[in-house]
Amino acid sequence: MIFSTLEHILTHISFSVVSIVITIHFLTLFLLVDEVVGLYDSSEKGMIVTFFCITGLLITRWIYSGHFPLSDLYESLIFLSWGFSLIHMVSYFKFKKRKNNLSAITAPSAIFTQGFATSGLLTKMHQSAILAPALQSQWLMMHVSMMVLGYAALLCGSLLSVALLVITIRKAIKIIGENNNFAFSFGKIQYMNERSNVLLNTYFLSSKNYYRYQLTQQLDRWSYRIISLGFIFLTIGILSGAVWANEAWGSYWNWDPKETWAFITWTIFAIYFHTRTNTNLEGVNSALVASMGFLIIWICYFGVNLLGIGLHSYGSFTLN
Amino acid sequence: METLLNPSKTPNLFIPKTHLFKPYFLHSNFNPQPHSSFNRRPLSITITCKVKTSQGRKNDGKNISKKIVLTDSAPELSNEEIKAKPKGGGKAWGVIKKFPKRVLAILSNLPLAIGEMFTVAGLMALGTAIDQGESPEYYFQKYPEENPIFGFFTWRWVLTLGFDHMFSSPVFLGTLILLGTSLMACTYTTQIPLVKVARRWSFLQSADSIRKQEFSDTLPQASVSDLGVILMGAGYEVFLKGPSLYAFKGLAGRFAPIGVHLAMLLIMAGGTLSATGSFRGSVTVPQGLNFVMGDVLGPTGFLSTPTEAFNTEVHVNKFYMDYYDSGEVSQFHTDLSLFDMNGKEVMRKTLSVNDPLRYGGITIYQTNWSFSALQILKDGEGPFNLAMAPLTINGDKKLFGTFLLVGDTDSSNVKGISMLARDLQSIVLYDKQGKFAGVRRPNSKLPIEIDGTKIVIVDAIGSSGLDLKTDPGVPAVYAGFGALMLTTCISYLSHAQIWALQDGTTVIVGGKTNRAKAEFPDEMNRLLDQVPEIVESSISKKPDNIGG
Repeated sequence: MIFSTLEHILTHISFSVVSIVITIHFLTLFLLVDEVVGLYDSSEKGMIVTFFCITGLLITRWIYSGHFPLSDLYESLIFLSWGFSLIHMVSYFKFKKRKNNLSAITAPSAIFTQGFATSGLLTKMHQSAILAPALQSQWLMMHVSMMVLGYAALLCGSLLSVALLVITIRKAIKIIGENNNFAFSFGKIQYMNERSNVLLNTYFLSSKNYYRYQLTQQLDRWSYRIISLGFIFLTIGILSGAVWANEAWGSYWNWDPKETWAFITWTIFAIYFHTRTNTNLEGVNSALVASMGFLIIWICYFGVNLLGIGLHSYGSFTLN
Repeated sequence: METLLNPSKTPNLFIPKTHLFKPYFLHSNFNPQPHSSFNRRPLSITITCKVKTSQGRKNDGKNISKKIVLTDSAPELSNEEIKAKPKGGGKAWGVIKKFPKRVLAILSNLPLAIGEMFTVAGLMALGTAIDQGESPEYYFQKYPEENPIFGFFTWRWVLTLGFDHMFSSPVFLGTLILLGTSLMACTYTTQIPLVKVARRWSFLQSADSIRKQEFSDTLPQASVSDLGVILMGAGYEVFLKGPSLYAFKGLAGRFAPIGVHLAMLLIMAGGTLSATGSFRGSVTVPQGLNFVMGDVLGPTGFLSTPTEAFNTEVHVNKFYMDYYDSGEVSQFHTDLSLFDMNGKEVMRKTLSVNDPLRYGGITIYQTNWSFSALQILKDGEGPFNLAMAPLTINGDKKLFGTFLLVGDTDSSNVKGISMLARDLQSIVLYDKQGKFAGVRRPNSKLPIEIDGTKIVIVDAIGSSGLDLKTDPGVPAVYAGFGALMLTTCISYLSHAQIWALQDGTTVIVGGKTNRAKAEFPDEMNRLLDQVPEIVESSISKKPDNIGG
């Protein structure tokens, strides 16, 4: 009995801490108190607390139910929010010196998934269920954890690309709106397309544009790195799933809806990487592809489960 | 089209690639190449004219290139140059020779590949949206002509294009084949020359060219050999020639994409072999009965050939299930014995889900189960075997039932005792009126009295649902999987290159990397901070932590 109460406590602590962190971020955004380092520090500590809470939650569930906590939709959602907080932790500790923009993406993602999981929509799934025979395998740990971690990283990366698109489109709308001279707008288009420092030095005309350019460049690079990492996890997840399917059901690929959509996600991100090889298409076009990827991941992870058919029906749920 | 040619006094052949506009439709590019030789040649300029028929390469992608050498220095030999010379006589022969190259060039076009990938993704999505494998009437109903979806999508589209069996339809397979050929063409034309380029190391000889790199810095009182030592400590491979230095790290990250493409080709080949050369079959065998493997297995394609192992006879010794305390099924087990043609037992194993049996290239999986018969004693007589029939209900749970006649068997209104079971552990009995009478477990042997008849449930005989399969493509596919996982991980590595030049007492450092662009400046700054500053008053160097 202690385990379930412990679980409850941890869930509530993590949820409330993340809400506080979100509130702090919004405060800094709206009240423009960027320089208040104390607030930033406490939000970082809040994320650390959240990370440990969710880890504790998962471990408690593991011990209590006897199987790795990834057998149904509720547990995979908790795992997904754990993945987000893990990415946040890693990027925080790697780049302690500079202020990290990534937390603006990971913190809300963690809270939204955590909130959805603990919300009233899925109340009947909170208890740990027993494992069907097909799921009693060592492959469960590797396949599902890799897939969910891959989804977490890819979601982060595609959100960063969406942010890049938003900034770029707002800038583009401004350019069209402003009636500038040709050289000025030409210059802006130049540095949107080029990565060269030389052109930048000769063409940008205001410091505001320079900071925005820095921001888009940073977003672009970060999203590239994180999507690469997520792609590796996704590849390993899909392939280990195929090997598991071969061991359990006799065939490594069944064109099951979930498998097919995971493959579609993989293909879209492969397209993302290929668009980046050509420097022309870098920047905005690859960000477009990554944003498509965001939608596709949600269809793959959630939409297919709503159908509830196929070999992956363990993850299904009905909205009641 | 811009050309940036720097014929300066020192052999300086740096290409600021980002200066060149690369509009998409442009077909030729003028690109001076770095000269990787050791001897200092005054005014030795090599202009490489690349005739590209398509755009969209990686930064140093090479295609057929003809070299025009302006000086009398020995020209750089590259294999493509030799290939470009047309051999043999006659125009027609030349055209035929050029044809594969043109096809190759068209196939390795990057936007084509991206378009193919989009098409594959779209077809797969459509394949999940349209229900697969149903009868034509289903499609007539779902996509009627009177009310087409989006105004044009009717069942005619579905059936003629083969969307009802999308994943084996010619459209889908054709796109996959096209993608495979593009993969092969792209690997051959782009990636392999990339290997040659990446392995060449070149020194940059002028401070300007170093400053134009993505990251550049100047260390006022330093020595280039100190920098080399620091870089070596950080895992770089360092080459020092006089005042100039070249270091790189993570070259594997450049080769790994080739590995990824090759692994994908291997997987596709293995998958094709699986699709055309395997045998599949499934059977439900009651406990105690046999079957011969060859009777059950059917071929899937034209390459399927049966093996000797197909003559093996399989005998189901026992089928049983494990249950949780709550009554749910936890695992299925089947105890199998395999006998060869002479009746000798060659193998005995208990299968369960996730634990298949492998023999002679054939694999047997536990995938299903059924209820074969219920063995009962009626009024002390018997035992009688009552066959259990599956009853259809909604959901995953199964329900089986049987019926024992009681009383007059000739009357039109026959009545009897019904027995229902969800699994093999408990049977629910109902009397002649259909009222609930009791629950009995087969191993308890407790009798139950219903309407004057004494029933004892002796045994519940289950049947095991087994899937058999032999698949020659599996080794190739598994090898491809392993290679793909490995090469994808390796391609995460970033190939970083650093150049440095000693100019008096200052060292000018420049570098670039292809993947980890965000972290590269930080890493470089950290390394440069470690370079000791040479204080002028003493010859010995003080290892200060003050750098550029």
